[in-house]
Amino acid sequence: MSDSNDSTNIAVQAKDVSVYYGDFRAVKNINLDVARNKITAFIGPSGCGKSTLLRAFNRMNDLIPISRMDGEIVYRGKNLYDADVDPVEVRRRIGMVFQKPNPFPKSIYENIAWGARINGYKGNMDELVEESLRSAAIWDEVKDKLDQSGLSLSGGQQQRLCIARTVAVKPEIILMDEPCSALDPIATLKIEELMRQLQEQYTIIIVTHNMQQAARSSDYTAFLNMDTTDRSGYMVEFSETSAMFTNPQNQQTEEYITGRFG
Amino acid sequence: MINSPVHDIDLTEDVALSLRKKTKWHETLIQGALVACGILSVFTTIGIVVILLNESISFFTREVFEITNKSIATDIGPADTTFETTASGSTLVVGQIVRVDDELMEVLAVDGLSLTVERGIQGTEVSFHTADEEIEKSVRVPFREVFTGSRWQPRLQQFGMWPLILSTLMISVISMIVALPLGLASAIYLSEYASNRTRSIVKPILEVLAGIPTVVYGYFALTFMTPFLERAFFGDNIQVFNTLSAGIVVGVLIIPLVSSMSEDALHAVPQSLRNASYGLGATKLETALRVVLPAALSGVTAAFVVAISRAIGETMVVAVAAGAGPRNFEWSQVFTNYGETPLNPLQSAETMTGHIVRISGGDLSYNSIDYNSIFAIGLVLFLITLTLNIISRRIVERFREVYD
Amino acid sequence: MENPENLYPVDEELQKFIDYRKRSGTIWRGVFLMSLFVAILVLIVLMLNIINDAFGLVALENEVDPHSLVTGYQENTMVSMPNTFASTNHAALAAVIQQNETGIGFVGHAHYQTNADDLRLIAVDGQFPTAETVADGSYPFARPLYIYTALDTLQSEPAVAGYFRFYLENANNSGGELGYFLADETLMADQINLIDTLAGGPQALDSLGGNLALSGSSSLYPLSRQMLLDFRQAGFGGDISIEQIGSEAGIEAFCRGDIQVLNASRPMTVAEAATCQRNRVNPVEIAVGLDALAIVSHPSLDFLESVSLKEMGQIFAAMNYWDEIDPSYPVEPIVRAVPGEGSGSLELLSGSMFSTIGLENLSGAAYAEIIRENLGRGRGRALERDQRFLAEGFIFDSQTAFNGACASAEPPTGCAQPARDRDNLLDLIEQEIIVPQIQQTWPLYDSIFNRQAIVAEASRKYPDAIVEFKSWLNPDFLVNPQSSEAELAGVRTAIWGTVMVVATTFLFSFPVGVGAAIYLEEYADSTKWYNKIIQTNISNLAGVPSIIYGMLGLTVFVRLLLPLTSGEMFGRVAEGTDPSGRTVISAGLTLGLLILPIIIINAQEALRAVPNSMRRAGMGLGATKWQTTWSHVLPAALPGILTGTILAMSRAVGETAPLIVVGASTVIRTDPTFFSRFTVLPIQIFQWTSRPQPEFQNLAAAAIIVLLLILLTLNASAVILRNRYSTSS
Repeated sequence: MSDSNDSTNIAVQAKDVSVYYGDFRAVKNINLDVARNKITAFIGPSGCGKSTLLRAFNRMNDLIPISRMDGEIVYRGKNLYDADVDPVEVRRRIGMVFQKPNPFPKSIYENIAWGARINGYKGNMDELVEESLRSAAIWDEVKDKLDQSGLSLSGGQQQRLCIARTVAVKPEIILMDEPCSALDPIATLKIEELMRQLQEQYTIIIVTHNMQQAARSSDYTAFLNMDTTDRSGYMVEFSETSAMFTNPQNQQTEEYITGRFG
Repeated sequence: MINSPVHDIDLTEDVALSLRKKTKWHETLIQGALVACGILSVFTTIGIVVILLNESISFFTREVFEITNKSIATDIGPADTTFETTASGSTLVVGQIVRVDDELMEVLAVDGLSLTVERGIQGTEVSFHTADEEIEKSVRVPFREVFTGSRWQPRLQQFGMWPLILSTLMISVISMIVALPLGLASAIYLSEYASNRTRSIVKPILEVLAGIPTVVYGYFALTFMTPFLERAFFGDNIQVFNTLSAGIVVGVLIIPLVSSMSEDALHAVPQSLRNASYGLGATKLETALRVVLPAALSGVTAAFVVAISRAIGETMVVAVAAGAGPRNFEWSQVFTNYGETPLNPLQSAETMTGHIVRISGGDLSYNSIDYNSIFAIGLVLFLITLTLNIISRRIVERFREVYD
Repeated sequence: MENPENLYPVDEELQKFIDYRKRSGTIWRGVFLMSLFVAILVLIVLMLNIINDAFGLVALENEVDPHSLVTGYQENTMVSMPNTFASTNHAALAAVIQQNETGIGFVGHAHYQTNADDLRLIAVDGQFPTAETVADGSYPFARPLYIYTALDTLQSEPAVAGYFRFYLENANNSGGELGYFLADETLMADQINLIDTLAGGPQALDSLGGNLALSGSSSLYPLSRQMLLDFRQAGFGGDISIEQIGSEAGIEAFCRGDIQVLNASRPMTVAEAATCQRNRVNPVEIAVGLDALAIVSHPSLDFLESVSLKEMGQIFAAMNYWDEIDPSYPVEPIVRAVPGEGSGSLELLSGSMFSTIGLENLSGAAYAEIIRENLGRGRGRALERDQRFLAEGFIFDSQTAFNGACASAEPPTGCAQPARDRDNLLDLIEQEIIVPQIQQTWPLYDSIFNRQAIVAEASRKYPDAIVEFKSWLNPDFLVNPQSSEAELAGVRTAIWGTVMVVATTFLFSFPVGVGAAIYLEEYADSTKWYNKIIQTNISNLAGVPSIIYGMLGLTVFVRLLLPLTSGEMFGRVAEGTDPSGRTVISAGLTLGLLILPIIIINAQEALRAVPNSMRRAGMGLGATKWQTTWSHVLPAALPGILTGTILAMSRAVGETAPLIVVGASTVIRTDPTFFSRFTVLPIQIFQWTSRPQPEFQNLAAAAIIVLLLILLTLNASAVILRNRYSTSS
């Protein structure tokens, strides 16, 4: 399992996390250590709560009025759900890329600059834009049309723009919610390559239902499944990706990764 | 589809015949009637345009007779075509139509004080006229004056529409100052902040506000807003009828319109944009004002344009509270003494709609100059509001394409 | 690359930055919420403003006091009863009673005193007139007595001032003996001071020049006469004279300037004082004592000990024989002696005796009598021709003149109608004689919280007015037609107008609007240019200012279609009258065009919401398009269509501007027909709002409440309809 004793290598920790929507418990009792500068993948069948769990890491669930959370998310020794923690700042530190590319209806430049600006960025904006676009491997494609609308790009480009936008506010952790599900295979490949590059500076948590993607591009994998009795998601197994895909400890895991259900 | 067992009817013979296309009179008739219903709406528009144009044309081509202060010097019989006039008054020129009593004449030649005329033109009766009868000369409503003049008194041959237009604009501006910020701000609150519960309470209240007849708002302006402004701010400086009070109340009346149209536009912005914004660490306010609002800008703009059109066409509030009688002025006053022009919101001034209501509410005889003139005003009003509505719909149409 | 952390705020700076963003977030949130609150606040203020104006205190002044009509009628009845002797001279009254064995009547207490041996005093409700019962008011027929003179006279004629001073000093000495009740000593002293202030100090009586001439009340006659005699006794050397002509005639003559010193058994009314002032007679009023009217009978009527006010009503104004009052009394005619018309005594008598009888208690015949007495002849005749007052005979008209009018080319309406009933007569009295007039109105808030101040203000400004709480919204307001008197105005004709106009609108725009919607949704190919034009055109029409529709209606319906809209085509225009196209029909059609786009758009939405499977199912069975539409699509869409239509109708109910242009009339007193001129509620509100008199604002507020209630009903039914069908399907 993960090297949980070495706290410097842990970027964020989930401790006994349960998330409720109204009376319904979407995920229950998750315990998980996310390793620094590694890619951690959440896999599992539809409806098992992997996206819900992901959103718990930067308090995006707060935006859903009926949601409620038990347990702790520990980041730098601080529970993110403590009363004195500001969700706005949490989201700056723990950025997010969404399933469907969602650039702002502004220029490509503004898409990058906006987040930086509202977060009080003081450096040279042009440099930041270029640097972010480069680190999202899209600079060469857009450098001549920075003033065009972000919506004019193709789906894969849009998604990389969104990643660039996230990178620009210098988060420590990037959450990716099925970032490739709306993209074609070539664009998907590009995003996967990008993730490998970003890994050097960022900790990445990715939700995917594409097992090959998890196997190819993640260091650790958590398999979540739905409890048949109360329909809540729970974590079946969490281990290094190579270990999980070669030697699953749990029979459900084995059945899932060999494609017998899901 | 599984058919029920075939009845033992011999179909073979009639099938070909029965499948042949038949004219179903019944159906055609009904369809015709339905088409007629649809076309009626087109005729309504055509009707509006035709009658407004028609009466406006009569307004602009109408001959109005102006007193010349000149009268005939001697008695003239039915056969006389040349006669002397008094020296006083304005000069007459060849080709001018003049009126003496009920008879119309065309001036053929002018020689000093003596006029040579063609008698009884335009089918008027040639009659005997005694000395000292007044000569009136015909003038056309000057097209230029209508759109540049600053005095509107058709019966006194003053045809400048600006006093009416200016006060209409004045009231529209005041109402927009009230309605746009309040309407937009409440739309933002409803769309971005309010819980479903709040929305379910507040939206019906706004609907109620929108459903209150405008004459009730007029009553409100006159019996509440004006006394309130008088007591709270202006004292004796504000007149009983004034454009400020009317403008504020028109603004209030438009708030629900602005608010509901803007809210629709804000609501149509996809949730994913908001998520993206929050994901970058934006606050609710930053998301609402700098992501959602710009994304909904065209819809909000369309709401604003419709609101302006509504304010310009609003009638009863101004008819009750803004005052009766156009506030005529001189252009020079606009810069030197604007207090005496319609630009002073504390004084009474009549708007285009208010004028139409007052004139048509009185004893109005068809073919009078007043009757024609209100149609000319109506035409201007119609064109302004139509243009605004078309602009608004264009904006909305463009806006829809973005997210589809 | 620089350390990225340093380019973003950190630590304390970060904390400050976040605090700042949070704070501005909170502030703006407040701003947005306040904006929303303003809209709600306006709604609340608007409603409160209307309620505030629709209820509240009013100062109501009647041209004629209704009770005076009752007493006036009763006085007439009393005086004209059989066996009744009426005179302003109390000595004559006393004589009549003495001479008739079954005689009963009223005389001033002083006159009773002088004839006490021959008259029998009867108690009223067990009370005899004594100093105590008169002072505490338990004896009903008592009143103060006054002498008047003009200020000029008082100042220029020392004899008058001297006499007044003498009167005030000595009245209480002689008054008691004469049967009067004494006035308060301090009051007398105060009045002496008043005389001194006005006319200077006392002078020797023998030096006073000039003569004294008194006239007026018979009740005060004995005292004033005694005072005159004593005055001369005390040294006054001029001529003296005194007449008794009754208080009313006396006051009238006094105000003309014909009487030097006036005796009066009642104070001058405000109206009389005003008349005096107009004639430059400035009256000085001096109270000299109290008088009671004694009810006395012939000594032989010993069965009467005490009578109640009700019995007195029967004795003096209803029955003719004693046994009708009580069977134990003798079967003898009642012989009555009552104070004559125009005397203060008669007024006092009738005011007390009939105080419990209200105008509404009287009979129809009494109403006819009151109308005869109080209505002008010309106006009376006109009203009588409209509808007769009496089933038999006439009050103002004559049979021949009436028959003549009925035989003419245009007979008055009264020829064919039965005579007015009692309620009708009562209404007539209220409208034509009493004529209640509102002097001032106060809004509800002030009426509740400043009631005392208002009552005080009103009693100062309108001494004759009644201040009462009035709900402007009341049953009468709903059933009365329009009127120029705020007190009598109502909205019946306007409500009827609204109902009929909106009915016309519905009959026109519902079928046409739904038809157009069916065409556009079910038949039209929306890619074709002409259908696009229709669609665009409809949404454009929805944005045209309503007043433009008014101009369209004026030209098309009122002028071009005059024969249709005036009813001329259907023979509905009376011969000799000018047909007007400004009718209910024109108004309804104009509003129909106005709401047509709204109905079409709403109906289109409802049709669009019907699932396509329903259409396919119909067509699949071999039904034609119309059959499918009629029996499947339309029923499914109907609730939606109706909801939309009701909302459009409520728009029509509130529309004002186009109807003004089309030519709504403001004063419609008779219920409208489809081809008559019309008014509607919003027009009525507009007209009342535009009137300068504040009471019409109150009426407008009440009418607004009616209008809003109608709209509320319409909207509520739309909501119910929507909820019922949206849940069931």
